[in-house]
Amino acid sequence: MGLLHRHKWLVPYFLLLPGLAWLALFFLVPLGYLGHQSLETQNPIDLSYAFKWAWSNYREAITGFDPQLFRSLEYGAIATVIALLVSYPLAYWIAFRGGRWKNVLLLFIVGPFFVTYLIRTLAWETILADDGPVVHGLRYLHLLSIFGSNDRLLATPTAVVAGITYNFLPFMALPLYVSLEQIDGRLIEAAQDLYASRVKAFWRVTLPLSMPGMVAGTLLTFIPAVGDFINAQLLGRPGQYMIGNVINSRFNELQDYGAAAAMSFVLMAAILIMIGVYARAIGTEKLTG
Amino acid sequence: MSAVAQPVAARPRSRAAGRALTRARRELLTIYALLGFAYLLLPVAVVVLFSFNHPKGRFNYTWQGFTWSNWTNWDAVPGLKPALELSLEIAAIASLAATALGTLIALALVRYRFRGRAVTNVLIFLPMSSPEIVLGASLLTLFLSFSFFTLGFWTIVIAHVMFCISYVVVTVKARLIGFDRHLEEAAMDLGANEWVTFARVTLPLIAPAILAALLLCFALSIDDFVITNFVAGQEVTFPLFVWGAARAAVPPQINVVGSAIFAVAVGVMLANVLVQMRRARKGAA
Amino acid sequence: MSPLTRQQFVRRAAAGSAAVALPGAFAALARAGVDPSKVKGKTLVFSNWPLYIDVKNHRHPSLDQFTQKYGAKVKYVEDINDNASFFGKIQAQLRRGQSIGRDIIVMTDNSPYPALLVQNKWVEKLDKSVLPNLANLQDTQRHPAWDPNRDYSLPWQSGMTGIGYNAKFTKPITSVDQLFTDPKLKGKVTLLTEFADSLGLAMLSNGDDPAKVDDASFDRAITKIQKAVKSGQIRQFTGNDYAGLMAKGDVWAAFVWSGDMVQLHADNANLRFTIPKSGGMIWTDNMLIPKHGNAYLASVYMNFVYDPKIAAEIEDYVNYICPAKGADRVLLKTDPGVAKNTLIFPTVAMRRQLHSIDPKALFNADYKTKWQKVLGA
Repeated sequence: MGLLHRHKWLVPYFLLLPGLAWLALFFLVPLGYLGHQSLETQNPIDLSYAFKWAWSNYREAITGFDPQLFRSLEYGAIATVIALLVSYPLAYWIAFRGGRWKNVLLLFIVGPFFVTYLIRTLAWETILADDGPVVHGLRYLHLLSIFGSNDRLLATPTAVVAGITYNFLPFMALPLYVSLEQIDGRLIEAAQDLYASRVKAFWRVTLPLSMPGMVAGTLLTFIPAVGDFINAQLLGRPGQYMIGNVINSRFNELQDYGAAAAMSFVLMAAILIMIGVYARAIGTEKLTG
Repeated sequence: MSAVAQPVAARPRSRAAGRALTRARRELLTIYALLGFAYLLLPVAVVVLFSFNHPKGRFNYTWQGFTWSNWTNWDAVPGLKPALELSLEIAAIASLAATALGTLIALALVRYRFRGRAVTNVLIFLPMSSPEIVLGASLLTLFLSFSFFTLGFWTIVIAHVMFCISYVVVTVKARLIGFDRHLEEAAMDLGANEWVTFARVTLPLIAPAILAALLLCFALSIDDFVITNFVAGQEVTFPLFVWGAARAAVPPQINVVGSAIFAVAVGVMLANVLVQMRRARKGAA
Repeated sequence: MSPLTRQQFVRRAAAGSAAVALPGAFAALARAGVDPSKVKGKTLVFSNWPLYIDVKNHRHPSLDQFTQKYGAKVKYVEDINDNASFFGKIQAQLRRGQSIGRDIIVMTDNSPYPALLVQNKWVEKLDKSVLPNLANLQDTQRHPAWDPNRDYSLPWQSGMTGIGYNAKFTKPITSVDQLFTDPKLKGKVTLLTEFADSLGLAMLSNGDDPAKVDDASFDRAITKIQKAVKSGQIRQFTGNDYAGLMAKGDVWAAFVWSGDMVQLHADNANLRFTIPKSGGMIWTDNMLIPKHGNAYLASVYMNFVYDPKIAAEIEDYVNYICPAKGADRVLLKTDPGVAKNTLIFPTVAMRRQLHSIDPKALFNADYKTKWQKVLGA
């Protein structure tokens, strides 16, 4: 105790040490090992690995699987946009109309998250079944051909994107809510006192002030969405498989660790590039906020 | 008579129409919100509903009759109970550890000045922003490179603590930032030293955030599939069990456990929220 | 000499009678050739595929009988869903020479893994001194290429890969080509992810022999499948989750495994199995003892399972193809329906329609990668 008293400046480092050491040891170091693995080739008989500066793993990852890679970025982006469009009004309603019951209403958003991810997705398999109410309803409204293909919804891009959107919705809704909830209602009143219509007040006051929430939500949704593979596997078919499916099968089915590791880094690079483009578009200060 | 009456009657009607239009627009948002909640809860409803299904065969995809037996015999499916117990055990240990480590980091970030703040922030942000598949794959690579690690219970715990720390930091930090330091200063003015102040003033006041972080970790851990699939070795947690079962036969008991976890979690959170609401009302009164 | 109290007398009498009874039980085991000290009180850890052993009232009668007879418990774990991913989970420890905590695992011979395990010496030898029932093994299964003397493995069950269809939605389907091209089935067909199954059937439909795969026949088969995938004819590739999709009605016809269809048929008489006109595939799931597993105990168990009576019990539930001779005679008395079911006890004529995959093809990395591409991953 005496030591800490005399050297007060040490205190934060002691506080940080255990947690950061854990992260360094089990997040950073593994990435290093993954990098090392990405340059190894594997003996198919006894499954031993040899470090051979196998840059061919990267070449194969980029050229061999660019359909899946682009598809992942595409599905991730679409899911994020839809999640934003769906969540924003919801978060707005809770923040501005929720009153005393705000926190209870939040449970509606967070609650479904507590049903195991896989069970939720299996439930969508039941809901979107070929013989189920949703397909029948869409067919009756003549919308099935737009959303589905071959007279069904499952094993189509729609089902996969819908699954991804649903599963990551809370990641968009909660940051949006936090941001909206902090907006001082008097600012909106002031705008209206200055003769702004409701729509204009929203557009010029509320929306910009909720930017941090939108940025956070977008990132927290897009990144896991791009790397997802479960929705594609359960709700999609080979034509919709994403880069996550490829990485998963390389690791867990083929035990081709070198190729899989290279693909993981290609995926991360793709995500970082997308984030970079996004940051440029909205201005970097808003990103690190 | 009518020529005079008309203008008088027209004004209230247009004002009423204007009010109705405004009301409709307001309610539009409410209607939309209700639809949104319905959409969010739809799969949950299906899960709960099918937990009462009585399927003849091995699959639980079509409704074939109501029964309580899935709930009374929830552990009749071999492997379900051990998997659930394992998941709960791992979640308990991992969430305690992650909450402890993360709270310390949050305290350091908010209360102290030190070099390396930016690096710390990046290190906290990165795991949250990496795809799970990369986290799992890299951990697998690490564990396979050292024979010290055997894939199993402890590797799962290590992985879960790792990805939970960031969420704890974010949750506790948010509460610490809005924390009123005057209370601490008052305590110290009254003679309490730093440790006593921390234990009897600070900690109780940030307890709700720590508890929230603990629950969040618990939820993340018990639900994790992707990372666990990579590092579990031959251990089977509940999500891994569901994945395996989905290939061969999906017994209704899976829905039972899913519904139960959901109900308990929502129940706990609801209780927490209602207690806080009552406290707020009492405080305001 | 102190007089014995009543309690002491009772206690000693009990001990004495136990001392008389134990040798009796020991003697029974010894007569069977089994050393009781090596089995009593031990636990056999048995990893198997789901729905692959007899079940009654949530217990496994055959396992309970084993415990009763030998005094050894069985920890039965249904954690094998897929050859590749199960092997992926155990290979790290096997490579390091560590135990995987299992005494028996079951892997299919139309995957490279049984051969890999034997080749890398990651399995223990069977203890044939306690395996007299080895004589009951079907003649056709005595000398597989990857374990010519059955030193390391014994079949658990065999099975056929063929076409399954739902009679409620479609007329009987007897040809693979129909599965791939019939427009009425568009989007309602699934194939198997297992390379040997799907490509084997496709090769047969091209007139090629799956037991002798070369680049040309491989390419012909893969092109055929790829075309059907691109056209949207093939909905998905599945493991045994085709069963759920067929039960749901999302899938009307698929490549399926025989035993699965027999089990499903019991619940839904519309689900039927046929061997395609061009031929079907046959495969065998084999029991193997991973390194550091208890080879003695595992061999005792394998011997137990090859007793026709026990084999019949298991067969009655599992409904795949029994590797032990004599089980059909037992079932003729206890469950003639099963005994006469040619999907479970195929006729010689049927067996001539069934083919195995060329083991060399399973090790070809190029083929594996091309197949994964078709699977979309």
